[in-house]
Amino acid sequence: MTSVGLQECLLVGAVLFVAGILCMVTKRNAIGILMGSELVLNGANVNFVAFAYFHDLFNIEGQIFALFTIVMAAAEAAIALAIVLNFYNNHVTVDVDAAEDLKG
Amino acid sequence: MLPTINLAELQSSLIAFAPELLLAGGIVVLLLLRMVPSLERLHLGYLALFVVVAALVASWIEWVNGEYDTRPAFAGMVTADALTVYMRLLLLGFTGLVIILTLLTGLPEREESCDFQVMLLGATLGMLLMCSATHLLMVYIAVEMASLPSYALAGFLKLRRQSSEAALKYVVYGGAASGVMLYGISLLAGRFGTGYLPEVAAGFAVAMQRGPVDAALLVGLLMILVGLAFKLSAVPFHFWCPDVFEGAAAEVGAFLSVASKGAAVALTGRFTLAMVGGLPNEWATPETWQGVAIYLGPALAFLAAITATFGNLAAYAQTNLKRLLAYSTIAHAGYMLMPLATLTREGLDAALFYLIAYLFMNLGAFAVVAILRDQTGTEDLSGYGGMIQRAPVLTVTMAVFLLSLVGLPPLMGYMVKFQIFAALWKSYQDFNNTGLVVLLVIGLLNTVISLFYYVRVLKVMIIDPVPEGTAGLVRIPSGQIIFVTLLAVVVTVGIVAWDPLALQGSGRAVSQFRPIKPAGAPSASAPAAAVSAR
Repeated sequence: MTSVGLQECLLVGAVLFVAGILCMVTKRNAIGILMGSELVLNGANVNFVAFAYFHDLFNIEGQIFALFTIVMAAAEAAIALAIVLNFYNNHVTVDVDAAEDLKG
Repeated sequence: MLPTINLAELQSSLIAFAPELLLAGGIVVLLLLRMVPSLERLHLGYLALFVVVAALVASWIEWVNGEYDTRPAFAGMVTADALTVYMRLLLLGFTGLVIILTLLTGLPEREESCDFQVMLLGATLGMLLMCSATHLLMVYIAVEMASLPSYALAGFLKLRRQSSEAALKYVVYGGAASGVMLYGISLLAGRFGTGYLPEVAAGFAVAMQRGPVDAALLVGLLMILVGLAFKLSAVPFHFWCPDVFEGAAAEVGAFLSVASKGAAVALTGRFTLAMVGGLPNEWATPETWQGVAIYLGPALAFLAAITATFGNLAAYAQTNLKRLLAYSTIAHAGYMLMPLATLTREGLDAALFYLIAYLFMNLGAFAVVAILRDQTGTEDLSGYGGMIQRAPVLTVTMAVFLLSLVGLPPLMGYMVKFQIFAALWKSYQDFNNTGLVVLLVIGLLNTVISLFYYVRVLKVMIIDPVPEGTAGLVRIPSGQIIFVTLLAVVVTVGIVAWDPLALQGSGRAVSQFRPIKPAGAPSASAPAAAVSAR
């Protein structure tokens, strides 16, 4: 049985990142887009933790990176959900296609 | 690996970052004051102003003393060099002016003043950290700290459809950009085993020199540049800018257009100069850095050229004044990127110098829009016909601000633009790089193009007839008149203090800037170790 190495972990991170970007590009629902941005952040997080595990000098620093990213992601989700709620109050939908007042 | 930190260093770090700590303390106090019912009637704008002025005084003392602890503070996360202190003065001074403007125009109601001021101060704190970050983790945290309150500020007019739409667009684009940036950071920091900027730069330069070109590294660098370009609203990451500025209140637009751009310029300058090693330094040969510079320089030059050109061309078709100013902001981001493309200290110098004039003239233009919005209820250009008869003082000050944004002498906009083109020309002479002359010509052409749309606004305000059905003279409170008049006076006479041959403020800021190596820290990554052995 082969053990899981750095390459495999980075692959998981890359898949999460691409899935997140695709999700943000294709979803029309604001909540769905936010879920996509969470996937992107977690893709980066998997990278940090993987590098920290396989790279002795990055051991502590990588985990700190990951911890702070989790905190920032939570803060961003809080702000973003409040903004989506406010958008809903004004537009009675969370479909981003309804956001068409501003253009030019 | 991070350098270790001892107690004495911690103390000196804390002192060096006194303005930021003051700001953070002020935010906590503002939040706590809300708990006290008897203070509910207090307008917290004055308290916020007091906090900002206190932090400004603290940084002013540091600036006057002129002795900076250029060692990395807090174990290399941030550094309080002259560049940091210079940006502190600019950003804190500007935030103070914005708070005064909001007090004059009464944008946040008294009940909401706490929320508004806390977010304003929070965003300022993030921007100050952006200017001093020397670690990739700190870069990410600072960018987020500056962005998150900005999203909320953009949607502050909760009952307005457009405002909620602006906030939604800002948060979606911003979340995507910061996510991409973080992924890029994870690629670079993980590869070199540290996020400390000078070591990442050294590892990157050596990896590039050794070849073959590592795609993951280039992608990582590109992703970080995407995050920075978003903050700068550089084309093609500018979509959010016009929408956000049109939907948000003009005061918020003023804050975002100057403070957010200024911090992004400083961060981009620090990051790019670190990536090319500043100038030849003791631990790598100039040839090593050259390998990065040949990619980074043209990339920045290209970004600057299309940003300035696109911003100026798109502004021409706008009818909403805030939207027009948003495209003008994009164009000015392009101007500020131009000297950064030289990747020299003189370039960073000129870009930082540009901010001084940009601060006054852009704040002035947005302030006039905010005041006229309150009095006439419209931000559309068509509603401003014949404004010279209805609000003569405001029209004259607006003319001063707009002509300064064009860069006509003898206004402040001329001196800063001259300095940018001078930096490009000097860099061309030093390195004989023809691309910089092309960039210079593009910059000059852009200045000509920009003349048309700025002057179109003035034509509507001065020559066009007053639209039918509007009242006569616009009544404007004297405080607001005094505020914009003072800004216009500064823009007009500011050039007196200018010595074209010796930059004082920003020159001093940049002269002390060097991406230094922490004393006694072992080079973490294998490539970086190879550098120090040379």
